[in-house]
Amino acid sequence: MERRTFMKLAGAAALSFEAARPAIAQGKTTVRWWYHYDNPQNTPASLVTKFEAENPDIKIQAEPIPWGGGTDYINRIFSGLVAGNQPDCAMVRLSYLSRFGQMKALEPLDGFLANWKGRGDIADDVWKINRSPDGKQYYMPLHYVVIYLYYRQDLLQQAGLQPPKTFDDFLTAAKALTKDGVYGYGMRGGAGCHDNWGPFVLGGGASFDKGGMVADKALAANRWFVDLAVKHKVVPPSAPTDAFRQIVDAFKAGRTGMAIHHIGSAAEVVGALGDKVSAVPVPRGPDGGGWTYFGDESNAIFAGSKNKEAAFRWISFLSSAENNAEQAKLSGQLPITISDAKNWTVHPKRFVEASDASLPIARPLPDHVKTPDFVGRVLPTNLQRALTGGMNPDDLMKAVEQTFHG
Amino acid sequence: MNKATASGAIFRAATPYGFLLPALLVTALVILFPVLQTAWFSLHDYTLYDPENARFIGLKNFAAALADEVFWIALLNSAIWVTGIVSLQLLLGLGAALLLNQSFWWRGLARALVIIPWALPSVIIGLMWTWIYDFNLGVLNDILLRIGLISAPHAWLAQPSTALACIMLALVWQGFPFFTVTILAGLQTVPAELYEAAEIDGASSWRQFVHVTLPSIAGIVATAVLLRIIWVANSLDVILVMTGGGPGYATHTLPLYAFLRAYTGMEFGYAASLSLMLTAILLGIVWLYVRRQAGELER
Repeated sequence: MERRTFMKLAGAAALSFEAARPAIAQGKTTVRWWYHYDNPQNTPASLVTKFEAENPDIKIQAEPIPWGGGTDYINRIFSGLVAGNQPDCAMVRLSYLSRFGQMKALEPLDGFLANWKGRGDIADDVWKINRSPDGKQYYMPLHYVVIYLYYRQDLLQQAGLQPPKTFDDFLTAAKALTKDGVYGYGMRGGAGCHDNWGPFVLGGGASFDKGGMVADKALAANRWFVDLAVKHKVVPPSAPTDAFRQIVDAFKAGRTGMAIHHIGSAAEVVGALGDKVSAVPVPRGPDGGGWTYFGDESNAIFAGSKNKEAAFRWISFLSSAENNAEQAKLSGQLPITISDAKNWTVHPKRFVEASDASLPIARPLPDHVKTPDFVGRVLPTNLQRALTGGMNPDDLMKAVEQTFHG
Repeated sequence: MNKATASGAIFRAATPYGFLLPALLVTALVILFPVLQTAWFSLHDYTLYDPENARFIGLKNFAAALADEVFWIALLNSAIWVTGIVSLQLLLGLGAALLLNQSFWWRGLARALVIIPWALPSVIIGLMWTWIYDFNLGVLNDILLRIGLISAPHAWLAQPSTALACIMLALVWQGFPFFTVTILAGLQTVPAELYEAAEIDGASSWRQFVHVTLPSIAGIVATAVLLRIIWVANSLDVILVMTGGGPGYATHTLPLYAFLRAYTGMEFGYAASLSLMLTAILLGIVWLYVRRQAGELER
């Protein structure tokens, strides 16, 4: 074959491949879905297989995206949106709703939801929490966790104490458990510290409303929280930078008597401590108020998707009874559907009960464009400075106030 | 004939540029374009989640950075970070290279082993040292407690007084093999006759090192130091893994601060101005180095 002929044939072959591609895929829509699970070894393959069997006209391209404390995951999404290469749908959290809203990046689901039979299997409160300020529903609830208090039953019994219900109870217990190399409370001052700071400071009277961080009650609550480390020394000296892994490992190793996290860590905590560990809702503030973090996870469809109908079929499949239970097992969290929650036996009952009992005071973080910056930078750096004596605790609250209200 | 000669001359003159063109195009695409884009961003109030409302603000991002307390903290930390790490890596690398240049039966194995820290990914280094320093389970506290140097575990990474030094130590460990290998290669090019001559002249080992070894490897060391200054000044992965910049701002360096402003605040305009200032500082160092090298060549 002459070189010229070969080049012609090669060019024609390349063109025909491109031209043939749509024909091969004709009649089959591909939905790109981005997800993350705490355990990266978990895969949604069985859910995808089941969905594709039920929906032979749709192919699901499920792409795991590294979580990286949330920052990596969400940055990929925003970068994808700016570059116009976003997936059709993805797992998302409420704290980013405002930023998505500002970009007009999401597709309202109200039209789809009106005809979706599974809607009634998700509690009205959950729909309310997930609703956007513009009144539209952009998020399809998927699963959730609620922050609660882990405690060592055996150590509290030895000290003759009950699980703490108030801040005063908590301080008493933390002091009693701090001895012989054990610290009463494994405070999280590193990445993700908002879920430890919130129950005591927001639960003690602070709020995200204008002026809500610098009110006397808010400042006092924050000083009380910082004093757990600075004055009472009931937390490990490593607390300023301790994040999820450190607080869970220290609790498992018996180096701390109480820790604040959610049901996602129950399996490994029970694996290490068995019946010695239990959980209750986080303690209430002096005026009976309380706050704990509602850790939401939803799916959303991007406005730029060309396969919105197919994408909705996939995300509604994941939030339907049975499938949602399977999805919650993969994520280590709790199912969002009422029917799956009723028969939930994956986690020990006492942790499910502690999660349920926490729901009345469970709130998401504010739906504000600055919330991710508050979580990822403002709170950790300033809290760490306060915990290590490099900053007056009141200045921490002023920094938070300034972040949200200028 | 003349015409043919002239076209041949043009072809010969153009050939080098033809060979260089692909590399220049790729460089322009992957380096020059992003740099220009960064410079453009730095003149705008640009947040990633609000690209439609990006507006030109001139040099306001730079003015804001100069008035930002954290910028100055990060700049000081960067200076400590680069100076401390590069000088310790150089000392350790030089020492290791001199040892590995000696003759001993397991020299080949030793030369292979010394490269291991350099071959490990930074994230692995970060995680490994995080657990070495861990307050509850770390091996460092365990050893120091056992030999009685401390009476209680120390939270190495959670205290502002020790956090930066601890991360620097991890990076010194990771990077010294680069100096070892580079200097070792330089040592092997020093002619043995020079040492013989010095020995005949009665020079001690120390004087041989100062007057023969050091001048012979000075050029290589200078190049290695320049490269390391640039790499270390830009590195943020190990800090990100070990402390995320904390506690507080104790381990914030300039690239880390720019990264955090870009990827948690999504303030790409402000982060771009921070990055450009770091680039300008590094370009200043490179300029000094090139000027020095040019001066030596002229001599």
